[in-house]
Amino acid sequence: MLWLCIRLPLLAREAFAANAEDAIERLAAWAYQWSSLVSYRLNDPPLLWLELGASQHLFGGHTALLAGIEAGLTQLGYSHVCALAPSPRAAALLTQVERQRCVFTRAELRIRLDPLPLSLLDLPEETRDALQSAGLRRIGQVLALPAASLARRFGPETNLYLRRLLGEANDPRPAWQLPATYRARCEFGCELRDTTALLFPLQRLLLEFQGYLRGRDCAVLRFTLKLEHYRHPPSDVAIGLCAPAREAAQFLQLARERLHNIVLPAPVRGLGLEALEFTAPSILQADFFGSDAQQLQQLQLLLDRLRARLGADQVQSLQPQADYRPERAWRFAPPAQSILASTNAADQEYLPQRPCFLAADLQRIAPPAQLLSGPERIESGWWDRTDVARDYFVARAENGARLWVFRDLADGAWYLQGLWT
Amino acid sequence: MKTLPPTLEQLAQLCRNGAWNREVKPALPSGFAELDANLPGGGWNYGAIAELMSDAIGIGELGLLIPALSSLARAGRYIAWIAPPYLPYAPALAQRSLPLNRMLLIRTNTLQQSLWATEQALRCPAVGAVLSWPTCIIDKNVRRLQLAAEAGDSLGFLYRPPEAALEPSPAALRLRLHAPSDDIACDGLIIEIQKSRGGRAGVRLQCATRLTWNARTGH
Repeated sequence: MLWLCIRLPLLAREAFAANAEDAIERLAAWAYQWSSLVSYRLNDPPLLWLELGASQHLFGGHTALLAGIEAGLTQLGYSHVCALAPSPRAAALLTQVERQRCVFTRAELRIRLDPLPLSLLDLPEETRDALQSAGLRRIGQVLALPAASLARRFGPETNLYLRRLLGEANDPRPAWQLPATYRARCEFGCELRDTTALLFPLQRLLLEFQGYLRGRDCAVLRFTLKLEHYRHPPSDVAIGLCAPAREAAQFLQLARERLHNIVLPAPVRGLGLEALEFTAPSILQADFFGSDAQQLQQLQLLLDRLRARLGADQVQSLQPQADYRPERAWRFAPPAQSILASTNAADQEYLPQRPCFLAADLQRIAPPAQLLSGPERIESGWWDRTDVARDYFVARAENGARLWVFRDLADGAWYLQGLWT
Repeated sequence: MKTLPPTLEQLAQLCRNGAWNREVKPALPSGFAELDANLPGGGWNYGAIAELMSDAIGIGELGLLIPALSSLARAGRYIAWIAPPYLPYAPALAQRSLPLNRMLLIRTNTLQQSLWATEQALRCPAVGAVLSWPTCIIDKNVRRLQLAAEAGDSLGFLYRPPEAALEPSPAALRLRLHAPSDDIACDGLIIEIQKSRGGRAGVRLQCATRLTWNARTGH
């Protein structure tokens, strides 16, 4: 067993959390990506323990792992002191010393503890005072005392503590469990009136969220940001993705596009993040050779960004539809679906040539001066009460453009249907 | 094997590119031999913006791009249409062998959104070509799009009104498109190369970029 203890002296303030428990819960969820055995102590100062012995090989050794964790904490913006020891209590003790905070074996631990002052021991105040008044100053001197006499004088708890400190006795602690849904929130001391000011706290929330997703080895398709206002119901900003993702940078980019468009009803006092549904991470992330898969992933990033900024239905793909009426012979299709579907161009070959541009609304025009081709009669639609009876022609406009026009047989009027371009 | 001596045409092209050994980037053939012969690299250049200033909509200005778009889309890259003035008509695109599942139609409300969407699409490596119809833009915007096209190595086509030809622009290629004056007798798009980076400007040529109808024969 190799325990990492992280001392977080300013956690509650730095996390902008409502209370210390929220703050350390968020950090525990983040830390779960590095170790399956996480536990914490809430009272001051907050301590977070991770068991690294089982996971150090996965992350390339304890040095690389420790560097990764410290870099992560720095990125999140928490002041922290890390220490490594074979027992959780020794790791907690070593977070209080100035240097040489990493020891790996019990023998090393004993040597390391020997010169440290007695006051670092996590024993009751009167026990420490009694030891002090007996003339003991260093931890080494206490460890050298016969166990039986210590037990007689201070009770068996002191002995148990010392044996746990040295890693000689079991020190079971409750393993923290990942919650099934993710909820995090932070409160600002002030009111933010501008959505760009939200990006800084949001970035941290998203980084913690990314840690949670990595720890669970899952990804999300949608999550919600909750902007809390004073005397105003919170506004929810739902962020959806095309493909399961778990990268904080990607989330932040989408959130920025969404927030860019939002007009705040009132200043923001708090920010929450909520994710209720999780899916398996997209296998494309690990695909080394598949350029098609990579391309699809890049496209999905683009689609997400466009939808976040422009609105979901502004980004479309097209599909033909079996209908003789030109304005009904096509439909929008969501791009993500039609990427997977293949279109058969042969379906369209029975039709006469059609123009590439279609007028969205029919425009009534004057009878064209010059008709180049036609008529092509289209009579259809009696079954759905939009019966059409039209003669289509290719017409030449004054400026040389080729128009696709028709004469409505019902009223004899001319309309522009499209342009040959 | 004996190599053939360079033709006069090839020599002229080498001279225009400044040096014998300057590498000409491969370009995407436009599908029109007359145009390819006059473009550096023999086609549309990747990572560059081309401005198309058409006198009117419906003279064959879209047909100019269709063969190139078709080959891009068939190679698996996506084509983004940003704020086109009319709706791209799905059956017609399918008839002209454009795979519809590679088309992305992006509608926008403002010019700013159009420019932003154009830039995002140009930067995306999955997108092969971006066709954009911005209402009115200035050279600063074009420069930005040019940089985005370089970053994404994609083809950018900006459809601009004919008045834009009077202003300078940082686009790599600028073409003016006219309908022929007697377009019944000879139906083809007249292309005037106004600017061509690494190529020759001032060329006027004609390409049959749209379907032809003859008033006498019907089809």
